[in-house]
Amino acid sequence: MTTDDPGTTGAREPRLDRAAKVEDGMKLLAIEPLLVNVHDDLFAIMARAARQPSTRLIGVLDDDGRLVGVIRIRDLVEDVLAHTIPEALMSDLTSVDDVARFGHQVETHTAADAMLPPAAVSSDASIVAAFRRMLKDGLSGVYVVDADQRPTGYLDRLELAYLATRGLPSASGHASDD
Amino acid sequence: MDTWIAAAVFLITYALIATERVDRTVAALGGGVLMLLFGIVSQEEGFAAIDLDVILLLASMMVIAGVLRETGFFQWVAIRSVHVAGGDPIRLLVVLALVTAVLSAFLDNVTTVVLIAPVTLFIAATLGVSPLPFLISQILASNIGGAATLIGDPPNILIGSATGLDFVDFLINMAPVAIFTLVIVLGWLAWIFRPSVRTAVDVTEAIASLDAEQVITDPALLRRSLAVLGLTIVGFLLGGVLGIEPATIALAGATLLLLVARRNVHEALAEVEWPTIAFFVGLFVVVEGIVAVGIVQRIADWMLELTGGDPTLTTIGLLWFSGFASAIIDNIPYTATMIPVVQDLGNAGVPIEPLWWSLALGACLGGNATIVGASANVVASGMAGRAGHPISFRMFVRYGIPVTVLSLAISSVYLWFRYLT
Repeated sequence: MTTDDPGTTGAREPRLDRAAKVEDGMKLLAIEPLLVNVHDDLFAIMARAARQPSTRLIGVLDDDGRLVGVIRIRDLVEDVLAHTIPEALMSDLTSVDDVARFGHQVETHTAADAMLPPAAVSSDASIVAAFRRMLKDGLSGVYVVDADQRPTGYLDRLELAYLATRGLPSASGHASDD
Repeated sequence: MDTWIAAAVFLITYALIATERVDRTVAALGGGVLMLLFGIVSQEEGFAAIDLDVILLLASMMVIAGVLRETGFFQWVAIRSVHVAGGDPIRLLVVLALVTAVLSAFLDNVTTVVLIAPVTLFIAATLGVSPLPFLISQILASNIGGAATLIGDPPNILIGSATGLDFVDFLINMAPVAIFTLVIVLGWLAWIFRPSVRTAVDVTEAIASLDAEQVITDPALLRRSLAVLGLTIVGFLLGGVLGIEPATIALAGATLLLLVARRNVHEALAEVEWPTIAFFVGLFVVVEGIVAVGIVQRIADWMLELTGGDPTLTTIGLLWFSGFASAIIDNIPYTATMIPVVQDLGNAGVPIEPLWWSLALGACLGGNATIVGASANVVASGMAGRAGHPISFRMFVRYGIPVTVLSLAISSVYLWFRYLT
C-alpha cells in the first residue's frame, strides 16, 4: 500500500504507509538479493559482497536453494580479518565474551560456519513485522521467502525505513525527507 | 547455642559458595549479615574484621590491571613470545604457558589467561589443532605462577595481610618452589600434549607476519601504565625496608596511574571487580563469627591432636589438606578460615612460618586439581566452551590432578628440606 509524497525536488515520490505489505516494499526497493551456498568460502563471499554493496545482509542457501541462514556484513568482515589481520581485532578483546567470539571467528571458513539463523518474512507480512524482525535480530536487512523457504526478494532496513518515513514530520517538527 | 548457629551459618555459606546455588558474593554477604543479626559478632567486631589491607590491595591491583588491559599489553606480550617460540607447536605451548605464569605472578590470573587466549586461539586455529592443550597448560601455569608472589593469588594476599609477611618474604620463600614446580609441570605437559599439538602445518610464516606493535591501542598510556606497574613492583620490593605496607604501595600505584593515565575515573574504577570485593567483605565477617564462638580453636586443637603437634606432620599435613580442600572449594574462603587456625597452631607451639608457606602453597596449587578449584579455571573453561571447545570436569582433572599431586609432592620436599630439617 503506497502513497505519493512530495520530495525535496518537488516530484511526488512513493512512500509506504503502516499497512503496506512486504511485497510492496520489495517492489519499490528492487534490491537484488545476495545469495551464497552453505559451502562457499568466506573470501569468495566477501568478494561478491564487495561488488554488491546495496545488499547489506547475505542469504545462505542449502543445496536445494532454501534459505538456511544469513550473514551480516560486519560479521563477515570480522571473520575474514580474524584469519588474515587478527591484530585488527585482538586489542579490543577485553572480555570473556569477546575472546570466545574471536575463538569462533578464527575457525570460521565457510558460509555454514559464519551464518546466523535465517531471518525471513513472507511477502504478505506487513512491513511493521519486517522491521520488528530486523530490529529484534540486529540485522540490516531481511529476506523474503516463499512457503518452501526459497528467497523471492530482499528488504534493506535503511532503505525500507527511508521509504516508510520520508515526508513524515520528525520529532523536531520538520519533514524527515531529504 | 551461639556455636551451633555460627557453625550452621558458616556451613550453609560454604555450601552455597561451593554448589553455586546462589552467587558466591550474595552467599558470603548473606552469611556475614546473619552472623551480625544473630549477634554472633557485634557490628563493631564484624566490621573491624573486614581487612582493608586485603580489600585495598586487591582493588588497587585491579585498577592497574584494568588500565593495562585497555592498552593491548597482554596481546603484545603474547605475540612477542610466539615470535620467540617460532613455528614449533610444543615450543609455542611452553612459551605461552610460561608467559601466562610470569604475568600471573604480578597481575590477576583471570585477566592474564583471558587476554593471552586470543593469540592462543589464533595459533591453534592456524596450526589446525585444538586450542585445549594450550589453554589447559595456561590455566595450570597461571595458578603456579600466581603462587610465587604476595600479589599473585588472593590466598597469598590474605596470608600476607594477616601475618605481616611482605612481598620479599613471599618472593624468597614461594618463588623458588613455584619456579621449580613450573619447570617440571611444563615439561610434563609438553610431553603429554605432544601428540595432540603435533601437526604438519607450518605456521612459521603466519606467526612471523603477526605485528605486535599493531595491537597497542595507546602507546603513551602503555608506557605510563608499565612505568607505574614497574614502580609499584619496586615499591613492593622495598616496602619491607621502608616500612610501607603492600596495600599502601598498591593504592599509591593505582592513584598515580589514575593521575598519569588521564582516563575517566569512573571508567577506571569500573575495572574493579566489586562483586569480588564484596565477597571478601562478607567472608571476613563469616570467619570472624566462627572465630568468636571458638570453632576455629577447636579445629586447631583437633589438628594438633591428629598430628601430636609434630612440626613436620602438621606442616606437610596442612599442605596436602589445603591442596585437597582448595581443589573442591574456593581457595579464598578456605584460606580466610584457615588463617586463624594456623595462628592458633602457632600459639600452641608449632613453628608457624612453615605453616604459612604450607597453607599458601596448598591453597594456590590445590586450585589446579579441578575445573572449579580457582577462578582462572572456571572463567577460562567457560570461555573455551563458548568458543566451541568445552573443557569437561573429567577432561580437566586428567591433567589437573597429576599436576596438583606433582606440585604438592615437590612442595612437600621443599618445605621439609628448607624449614623442617
